Amino acid sequence: MKRSVALAVCVWVSLTAAMTARPAPQVPVATQAAASPAPSLTAYRAMIDRYCVGCHNARSKTPAGDPIDLAAANVDDPASTAATWERVIRRLNLGAMPPQDSPHPAAGDLNRFVTWLSGRLDAHASPRPGRFPLHRLNRAEYGNAIRDLLDVKLDFASMLPSDSASHGFDNISDVLKTSPLLLERYLNVGMRVAAFAVGDTTLDAEMTTYQPRPDRSQNQYIEGLPLGTRGGIVVDHYFPVDGEYDFRPELWAAAASTVRGLEGFESPVRYEALVDGVPVKWAPVGGPADDAFSNADQGAASAAANARLHFRLPVRAGLHRVGFTFVMKTSAESQLLLQPFDQDIPEGNDGYGWPRLMRVSITGPYSPTGPGDTPARRAIFICRPASNDAALARACARRILARLSRQAYSRPVAATELNELLTIYDDGYRERGFERGVQLALARIISGPEFLYRGDREPAALRAGAVYPVSDVALASRLSLFLWSSIPDRELLDAAVAGRLRQPGVLDGQVRRMLADPRAQALVSNFASQWLYLRNVPRKSPDFKTFPDFDDNLRQDLLRETDLFLNSVLLGDRSVLDLIDADYTFLNERLARHYGVPGVFGDAFRRVTLTDQNRRGLLGQGSILFETSPATRTSPVFRGKWIMTNIYNAPPLPPPPDVPALEENTSGAPLRSVRERLEQHRRNPVCASCHRAMDPLGFALENFDPVGRWRASDSGKPIDAGGTLMDGAVVDGPAALRRAIVARPNVFAGTVTERLLTYALARGLEPDDLSVVRAVVQKAAKENYRFSSIVTGIVQSVPFQMTQKSEPVAAGLQAGPGSGSAP
Amino acid sequence: MMISKRHVPRRTFLKSVAGTAIGLPLLDAMVPAATAQTRTAAAAPFRFGAVYFPNGALPNLWTPSAAGPLELPPLLGAFNPVKDRVNVVSGLAAAPLSEHHSATSLWLHGGAIRKTEGPDVSSGKTLDQFVAEAVGQETPMPSLEIGVEDMSGSFGMCAFGYSCIYMNSLAWRTPTTPLPMELNPRTVFERLFGDTGTPAERAARRASKRSILDSVREAAGRLRSQLGPQDARTMTEYLDNIREVERRIQLAERQFKASDADILPAAPSGVPSSYEEHVTLLYDLVVLAFRSDTTRVFTFMKGVEASPISFPQIGVPESHHIVSHHQGSQESIAKYAKVNSYQAGLFAAFLQKLRDTPEGDGSLLDHSLMMYGSAMSNGNVHDRSQLPIVVAGGAGGRVKGGRHIVTPNPTPLSNLLVSMADKAGLEIDRLGNSTGRVDL
Repeated sequence: MKRSVALAVCVWVSLTAAMTARPAPQVPVATQAAASPAPSLTAYRAMIDRYCVGCHNARSKTPAGDPIDLAAANVDDPASTAATWERVIRRLNLGAMPPQDSPHPAAGDLNRFVTWLSGRLDAHASPRPGRFPLHRLNRAEYGNAIRDLLDVKLDFASMLPSDSASHGFDNISDVLKTSPLLLERYLNVGMRVAAFAVGDTTLDAEMTTYQPRPDRSQNQYIEGLPLGTRGGIVVDHYFPVDGEYDFRPELWAAAASTVRGLEGFESPVRYEALVDGVPVKWAPVGGPADDAFSNADQGAASAAANARLHFRLPVRAGLHRVGFTFVMKTSAESQLLLQPFDQDIPEGNDGYGWPRLMRVSITGPYSPTGPGDTPARRAIFICRPASNDAALARACARRILARLSRQAYSRPVAATELNELLTIYDDGYRERGFERGVQLALARIISGPEFLYRGDREPAALRAGAVYPVSDVALASRLSLFLWSSIPDRELLDAAVAGRLRQPGVLDGQVRRMLADPRAQALVSNFASQWLYLRNVPRKSPDFKTFPDFDDNLRQDLLRETDLFLNSVLLGDRSVLDLIDADYTFLNERLARHYGVPGVFGDAFRRVTLTDQNRRGLLGQGSILFETSPATRTSPVFRGKWIMTNIYNAPPLPPPPDVPALEENTSGAPLRSVRERLEQHRRNPVCASCHRAMDPLGFALENFDPVGRWRASDSGKPIDAGGTLMDGAVVDGPAALRRAIVARPNVFAGTVTERLLTYALARGLEPDDLSVVRAVVQKAAKENYRFSSIVTGIVQSVPFQMTQKSEPVAAGLQAGPGSGSAP
Repeated sequence: MMISKRHVPRRTFLKSVAGTAIGLPLLDAMVPAATAQTRTAAAAPFRFGAVYFPNGALPNLWTPSAAGPLELPPLLGAFNPVKDRVNVVSGLAAAPLSEHHSATSLWLHGGAIRKTEGPDVSSGKTLDQFVAEAVGQETPMPSLEIGVEDMSGSFGMCAFGYSCIYMNSLAWRTPTTPLPMELNPRTVFERLFGDTGTPAERAARRASKRSILDSVREAAGRLRSQLGPQDARTMTEYLDNIREVERRIQLAERQFKASDADILPAAPSGVPSSYEEHVTLLYDLVVLAFRSDTTRVFTFMKGVEASPISFPQIGVPESHHIVSHHQGSQESIAKYAKVNSYQAGLFAAFLQKLRDTPEGDGSLLDHSLMMYGSAMSNGNVHDRSQLPIVVAGGAGGRVKGGRHIVTPNPTPLSNLLVSMADKAGLEIDRLGNSTGRVDL
């Protein structure tokens, strides 16, 4: 008897495949089970045996790839098989199991079971906070810490190696390893930062080249340059000292010496260079004179044109915005009116069109005149030795280094540590005086493990495995890494050092203050951009021929929209459900045109209320629709997988090995749509188990093309966005999909919380942590899932505040000389 | 265009005839004194390299049709000018469980990786590191790891349960110590040739570095004694690495005597925005590093498995990964081959530069041994047999070129690694899943 039930349950797979994607039964099939069983262990066991075990047993190994055995899972003591039950809860919360066309228990029974099961797991879970390992600052954290410590902003992405991600984030402590390369870089970068911060006038002149992406169009306005200009390059460049610098822009040339824009114009274009918005150099490019010259001698004309753009200028130390651009003409030259597309990506030998810049080099300093007056110097030199007296100078250096090291290490600094810094100061002082001494000691501060690593001492008295609260200073670093991807500021550190952090209301107050600080932008640029895969966007390109209106400018606009939107929802402390459902977004004229939103004019982004139901929320934003598409077409599978992973937190398993790929259209056979081919793919039961969940989600977004524009048809065929979701909800497009997502608010809020908790703890989550997630979500629900309620819930949670004393390590691995190849 | 050194500060870019503005000026006339040309043939050191490209190549387009004398298929046509120093080795298979998420880390040891995203990340010590231990210790950098793709922009690509570190690491110094790659030509240059300035300035800067490192080492030791056992291990690793950095600075001092300062090249000034320029510049730096004997071992990852990078410059707007899943479409197969051919061409150009650099009675190419290839053949089905593998260089007369070496399919790739270790003079009998040797 039991065997036949099992078989009956398992045939759903082929049934699903035989059906079209809709309609699906809205009512659970097994209504005979509707009579509520008493909430007893026996009844739950019976329910599981009846509806689940048929597929999820030791023999049938379902789902393939990561099978789950519910016959063996313990109902009497769920905590003993917590990982299994957490998977069950996740699926049941989504309404994904049992499959729509299999027998179902009554919805009420399932809900009761989930509530009971999570309750049992939660009751058992606390308090096991997990480890709090030593954390090396990753590249982003290092850069932010330097910015906050010294007010020096450099492009650290080009100076330090990248950090590998685990669990979806690149801040996971356990995998932030070291290597000789990394430490060498920290040392070199540390010395460079110190030289820049102090304003070392002995620095060699050095050239930095900026090269915009080749797919960046220059026939349009570029943000950061004055309105009324077209194309060019704008950079924020750090000038280490007061002195002369050499600026050398180069015009784009099709071949070696054929500069574009020299020929064919009736009058010259005006080139302008600006420092902090002030024009410092201008020159004509093109027009009759250049035209004649170029016709006579292309190479010489090109060289002469480039020489005209070049200039040398005294510049004050510090960060300056330097722009190189062309003034927009009031009336366009006739040949350019013919250009029908936004894209201006020169190819091959196309020497026609506006002049554009290929790259810009800035070299300097030449004949430095002094270290200048920079924010960095003001931050460092809180005192000055009153005379040339060495003892006075050393006293001042002590004050400076005491303050810098305290903030850099984010804890009180011991006298021995300070004395060591002063020893290094002495070396520099002997070499070249007071400022040199400070510079070297500063380099030491930011190159050492006290700055690069965050951790906490273990109390010696406790036994291994004992749970204890992390120290206040460690908690402060943890908090600033979480909210700012940086080190604590003075106020937070003072509260921690004074032992006030855990007094009632103090921590919550700090969280509110920190979320309101601009540094909290790191939650968008580090947390959300990794969670939503936005970091992939810069490296992705569509087929530029299929999408002639796409260029890097549009790519940046797409990212900008989502960036502003995430800022508005997360840091504006709105409900996280607004990420899915908000009735507004941020657009400029070009993006509005791209989306078909009327009435937005000008290059500046502004908040726009959306009247189109389909555009609302992240799923209507081009950044994400583009990120999830291959170059020439959309992929409902990629988009579905993205939603399963990042919205539902139920990532599909990778396809088992040897699964046949989606059949491509072959010549001769009648053309079949992606939908038809996927339906065939789903006839394979192994494929169906994931694709029946993923595909309808992706199909619901089919009206959005690969770059995020709305379309009613694809290759002449009308779009069919219809489908049935895992829980039986029928959807017919983006608006319906969005409603289905917000109909399960705890699921999406749970995803946000789980991802955020992983990021906050900088480690992968354990089953016990999922109880924390549920508790945070439950509490946040009372505040309509405001972002700050989730953040506060995490900060107040046991795993964030506590840690566990580690187990002793096996003798062979004990700290010792190690395995390195030291001489 | 000649610019007098007296008038131009060291780091100023000297515009080369070729016009690679970010790049190196002409390589000639800027090689430090303790360099290749001054060596005799007998003293020419052994150089080793491994260049990895992701997503595989189709065996029917890559593999020459017959064993024996090398007849290059069109896809590998770029190797023709250096054919006599190139062997195609076919019939090799990557280690079991080699997939996008694991292939890169497995490629140079052929063993296994542990499925984890946590602290117990574990792979295997790679061949380049064995070689570096044997031949790299006299040089300032035992090995150089370079790449072109910043993995911090590749989310959702790593398999669940596996840290991205496996996709992002070609070289492993120990099973638990992956070696990160340097992507920025400017930093590669800085690592190779150190500080700029007059000899006195450079000496002063090195002295500062030494005193900073002394203090850092002491502090790390102190910190270690205060930490729990697991954190103390992290600090031990840190200390090992600090000692390695100190060692390099010492060796660099020996290598670049004060008088060398005047012939140091100018540094590249950034990361080129074009893939081709970027790859070429990194290859140029390897030539320079070999030539100046700053390093003898390098690994180069020409891309991350399954990454979204595309090649519109050669008519492939789709990502390499997407076209590798060609599903039999002739158009996709053609694009897939185009990428393979393009990348092989960049490597061939590098070989040409090594050949054009005389050393003793031969060239740098004669004294090098390098493996070029991927960890998959047909990317459409992630086939890990019939790998596209080229072995280049004369290994100091120990390897003949111009052959298509056919091994019985499937022969573990690690067999080839063991044979390359032989040629490097190492005594390694087994590596990973090796079952023997390849007759190189």
